[in-house]
Amino acid sequence: MVNDLVLMIPEIIVLLTAIAVLIAEMLRQPRIGFIAAIAGLSLATVLTIPLLGENTTAFSETFRIDVLSVWAKLILLPATILSLLLLRAELGGSDREGTAYVLIIMVTLASLIMAGVGDTMLLVLGVLLSGLGSFALVAYPRDDKATEAAMKYFVFASVTAGVMIFGLTYWFGGTGSTLLNELGILEKSPVLAAIGFIAVLIGLGYKAALVPFHFWAPDAYEGAPISVAAYLSVIPKIGAIFALAQVVRELPSESGWQWIIASIGVLTMTYGYLAALRQHNVVRLLAYSSIAQAGYLLLAVIAVGVSPLAFDSLIVFSAAYVAMNLGAFAIVMRLGRTLCKFKNIGFQQPFVGITMVVFLISLAGIPPLAGFVGKFLLFGAAMDAGFIWLVVIAIINSVLSLAVYLRIVVPMYQQETDSQTEKVLTVENALVKSAWLVCLIFTVLIGLAAQSLLGYV
Amino acid sequence: MVSLTLFLPLLGAILLMCYRDASTENIHKIGIATSALTLLGTLWIWMRGIAEPSAMNLGFSQVEQLDWMPSIGAAYRVGVDGISLPLILLTAFLFLLTFIYSAKVRKQPKAFIVLMLVLETAAIGTFTSLDAILFYVFFEVSLVSMYFMIAGWGHEDRLRAAQMFFIYTLLGSLPLLLAILGLYLGGDTQTFDMREWIANPPLEGGAAMLALIAMLFTFAVKTPVFPFHTWLPAAHVQAPAAGSVILAGVMLKFGTYGLVRFALQMTPEAFREAGLVVLTFGVVAALYGAFAALAQTDLKRLIAYTSINHMGYIIVGVAIAAITLDPEIRAIALDGSVLQMVSHGLVTGALFFLVGMLQDRAHTREMGEFGGLLKTVPLLGWSFVLAAFASLGLPGLAHFPAEFQIFLATLREVPIAIIVILGIVITAGLYLKAISQVFLGASNEKWASMPDLDRRELLTLSPLLFFIIVLGIAPGWMLDVIHQTTIALNF
Repeated sequence: MVNDLVLMIPEIIVLLTAIAVLIAEMLRQPRIGFIAAIAGLSLATVLTIPLLGENTTAFSETFRIDVLSVWAKLILLPATILSLLLLRAELGGSDREGTAYVLIIMVTLASLIMAGVGDTMLLVLGVLLSGLGSFALVAYPRDDKATEAAMKYFVFASVTAGVMIFGLTYWFGGTGSTLLNELGILEKSPVLAAIGFIAVLIGLGYKAALVPFHFWAPDAYEGAPISVAAYLSVIPKIGAIFALAQVVRELPSESGWQWIIASIGVLTMTYGYLAALRQHNVVRLLAYSSIAQAGYLLLAVIAVGVSPLAFDSLIVFSAAYVAMNLGAFAIVMRLGRTLCKFKNIGFQQPFVGITMVVFLISLAGIPPLAGFVGKFLLFGAAMDAGFIWLVVIAIINSVLSLAVYLRIVVPMYQQETDSQTEKVLTVENALVKSAWLVCLIFTVLIGLAAQSLLGYV
Repeated sequence: MVSLTLFLPLLGAILLMCYRDASTENIHKIGIATSALTLLGTLWIWMRGIAEPSAMNLGFSQVEQLDWMPSIGAAYRVGVDGISLPLILLTAFLFLLTFIYSAKVRKQPKAFIVLMLVLETAAIGTFTSLDAILFYVFFEVSLVSMYFMIAGWGHEDRLRAAQMFFIYTLLGSLPLLLAILGLYLGGDTQTFDMREWIANPPLEGGAAMLALIAMLFTFAVKTPVFPFHTWLPAAHVQAPAAGSVILAGVMLKFGTYGLVRFALQMTPEAFREAGLVVLTFGVVAALYGAFAALAQTDLKRLIAYTSINHMGYIIVGVAIAAITLDPEIRAIALDGSVLQMVSHGLVTGALFFLVGMLQDRAHTREMGEFGGLLKTVPLLGWSFVLAAFASLGLPGLAHFPAEFQIFLATLREVPIAIIVILGIVITAGLYLKAISQVFLGASNEKWASMPDLDRRELLTLSPLLFFIIVLGIAPGWMLDVIHQTTIALNF
């Protein structure tokens, strides 16, 4: 019991941090709450480091301390800290500022639970907990758009969670246990395994915004504050994908789960980029792009259990994705939501321009940046698992993605000839700036020195 | 030394970025100085290369390596052999001249020079990488910097051309990534070491054929081969003159270099089987390029299309080298192909500079609008005539020894393919037409006051013309280096 608690120390600290921030909020001290949040999450990150290389379980195998869950902490906790910086820059001074911090920490905790899930009940808990916090965050501005977005998000969540729980009963019926590692028993009843898996995929697919369970995402991102959109496009998504990897690890391949995921992956990548091509709102564009990026992560999930590259690629690409996606959103916070706000930025603010280009071409997967290393490993994993056709489709989508990201880059470097366009109003904010600088450093660093991650995976 | 030379331009770029409030003049000085040092570096590498010719027989020499991602077998590995040595020399040489020529750039000079320097590192890196991932990284970085160069400093329709170039060549290069992964997963040892792959080709049979098709696609787009060439005229015409020179002189060689280094050396068996198909593509590209050039009225487009023609000869040479079983014919074909890469870089570089200079003066590239320029600007005119004659393969000038060897090997291995020689007849016709339209005939009053070449322009052109003649009369010094490697290839 004590040993279990010791293994869970990072999660426990995250929970305590949430409580501390809540208390600070009740005392009307959001500033202290903010500092406590940063400090708590940093402490949790540091205390995760000794767990590297552990491969065990806690609380009678319901929670796994393995490479996935440890790296989830090392990726998601710093990502949450960055999101908090953005959040404070955007919502700081509003009257319920502190509650947003609490909610974000709780959603992160839920994502961490999902990433280490070893039991179906815990999976349900993680999905529901992360959902609850997310609705409130989306609805935070309390205007029509935000309320509608949150409502949509909520209805979707209830339906998909219901389906997931329903499907999980099949697994429980088949194995007589809620533990994931008992799923091997279903080897002889592939239909049962497949039904349960599709249900889980619906629940997690909604969390990760995989096509066709993505409808809520663009609206939610558009209605929510930009910093919340940035957060939602990264943390719960990675948590859900890691949970999916934990589930398929145990699933007998007779159920055909690889093919199900492959087809969802194709849909997700292709639809995400095609839809992004038509957007004029940068937040919506990035929302669709983040849908498509989740499709790439599925390439690693397919290879789980077959290729040694599966976990490497999943972790490296997730880390890369955090850096580049948060970075891109941070720049959107600085410049504004519509594409026309980006006009001429490349000349007016050269450094911001270059940084945005770095994030975008990293998202498109062009070397030597983080996105390239991640995608390269993902392609390798999927090819190793025998899904060459899927890699071909992913590659074609990478070209499509370039067209998507160039939609932002091109206006940035377009010379305005008709008039001396008025200086674009930008939000100068030290917090935002430090967030995107950190993202920039990591986007370049992961690209050049991926070994520093790979060496510990 | 290889690494030092490789990263010198990048270092210059970083230095320049940190140098605030630099005057335009100083920026250009830094650019020229950096590339001059780089040229010295490549000369040093060249000297070391010819000092120990025996090392060339054994494959790569002057290898430098460093662990990068050991857990997947990727490392930083660079080195040279007889095929890459002439190419890096050409690269450094052309870049230096481009920097000298670009000293007139006034629009955002800092960004321009930084991009050019990054491009130089990427180009040298592509030719010296011995690790497949590293190769791919440099290959793509060159794309990105070229995109911004065309988009930022190009002519009228630059944004569309830049976008087309970027998307087209990215679509082209991703299959290479697939092939690299295939070679990696197919090998016994988990490594991206290209030397390993060349020594023991990891794939065979159908898998090798698939990898070959992917690589051929990539390099066909890059080279470019008909029907994958449509990005080239657009990109060339819209790019600034400096960009065109680098694009034609250096970046097109990525395609043919990759064809030799990857397709020929890593999947030789599959290439032998597919050799006739590739040969046909080469012949068609050479003839198509010539005919299409004949139809152009825009001088820059014309030169762009002759590039397709000249690159077609290289494809023919490489295909012959793949088909033949006789090492001697293979060596002749490859010697010709590699030399053709160098001569094409020099000749087309000179032609694009000249068109750029014409455009600076007249602000048009339509041949019909000129006339009798040989009298008004004799230096520019005669330079163009010389470069054009070199381009059509006149004996005594750079293209002749290269094309001669390719045709010789073709005649000995697949005689029917010699119809490609028709391309020479057509290019001769089209250059004569261009020369008579632009430089001969009645002089147009409009251009009576056109200034002749100034010092900067002479400084750019004279080394190029000098080496065009040197390579034409005495190609031996370069062929020896190439031959050391090509004769030792066995598969």
